[in-house]
Amino acid sequence: MVSPVQSRGSSNYAYSVARVRAMKSKLLPKETYARLVNMKIDEIIRFIEESEYKQDVDELARTYDGIDLIEHALNKNLASTFTKIINFTNGELNYILTEYLKDYDIWNIKAILRGKYYGAPVDEIKESLVAAGQLSYGKLSALAEKDSEDDVIEALQNTQYYIILKEYEKGQLWKIENLLDHMYYSSLFQTLGSTKISDRRHFMKFIRTEIDIKNITLLMRLKKYGTIDAEKSADLMIAGGLELGLAEIEKLLPLSFEELLQSLEKYSYWNAIADIADPNIDSLTDLETQLTKYSLRTAGSFSHEYPLSIAPIMDYILNKKNEIRNLRIIVRGKASNLSEELIKNQLVI
Amino acid sequence: MVGEELTTMDPSGLKAIGAGLAVGLAGIASGLGEKDIGTAAVAAMTEKEEMFGKGLIMTVIPESIVIFGLVVALLIK
Repeated sequence: MVSPVQSRGSSNYAYSVARVRAMKSKLLPKETYARLVNMKIDEIIRFIEESEYKQDVDELARTYDGIDLIEHALNKNLASTFTKIINFTNGELNYILTEYLKDYDIWNIKAILRGKYYGAPVDEIKESLVAAGQLSYGKLSALAEKDSEDDVIEALQNTQYYIILKEYEKGQLWKIENLLDHMYYSSLFQTLGSTKISDRRHFMKFIRTEIDIKNITLLMRLKKYGTIDAEKSADLMIAGGLELGLAEIEKLLPLSFEELLQSLEKYSYWNAIADIADPNIDSLTDLETQLTKYSLRTAGSFSHEYPLSIAPIMDYILNKKNEIRNLRIIVRGKASNLSEELIKNQLVI
Repeated sequence: MVGEELTTMDPSGLKAIGAGLAVGLAGIASGLGEKDIGTAAVAAMTEKEEMFGKGLIMTVIPESIVIFGLVVALLIK
């Protein structure tokens, strides 16, 4: 067996980076979002049907229509794009990205379990599936068709998630979800963490920034709207952040929202939110948007700093995810008749 | 003596070896350069067909090293 610290062979940087950069140039430009927000729902759907998503929309057009069609097409496109990246990368690059995209397996398992728990229709569960990880869409949709959470868990017996899933008790879904998230990050640290291989170090920097941003967002939400006790909140925090380790987070947990904002001043993330951070702020959307923008900006500058490494690929993955998220917000927002202003505030451009 | 004749090398032979090395090594070096640029060009072309022209030009840029090698080889001759 190859030890976790050993490299998985040489990577095809020239090919992968050039291809990913060409793919990035095909992402929607910033101006498009402003235009899309001003369009009517039918126009938006037509726009998406004629864009890069054409093939996915065409393939699904027989089964779905309207917003459901767009939702499925966006998910399908995300999954096929990431699968494509996995297929054209080699060696170490491929290994790291495969580990990273296991995130989607966890997302899908969580979505299916949640759907089953609340008795959602199978179609609705399938709408939120993104088969970008190791589990194929066929397998996932078969899981979504199962009758209960227990049947789903039973069918996942041969996966690495079963150790956690078998502990599931009715009504305690949040515990399982939290454990799965922790498992994902701890296995990333275990397989890719302590090493001198430069790509893994670059990659871990992305992951650790992601953890920081997740923790900060969660802390802000808990403090602003929080009703759960400190012990339960501590369980939700993810270890391994770049600037905020668990020890720092423990110090932040008992603080009020105002004190939390003050304490954040000493971290680099503060620059991103300094202008709008106000203890009396109504909604956290702006703060969260700014933090996401910050992570995208960091990824961008990192990809220029290390042009022939995993950095440009991670930059693309983050930007692609963001594009899909933005399009979904616009489509869903328009379908629910939200105001243009409200939709614009949610977008990360 | 027979032994002395065998150890003396013909200068034109050495020249030919030098010229061969100049072209050969320059060829290997530009090949190495073109390998990465070529794969990158193909990658970019897969996503955007209009990159064909630019890709082709970029791919042949290291070819100039071989031309330098060839010039040196001709000078040696």
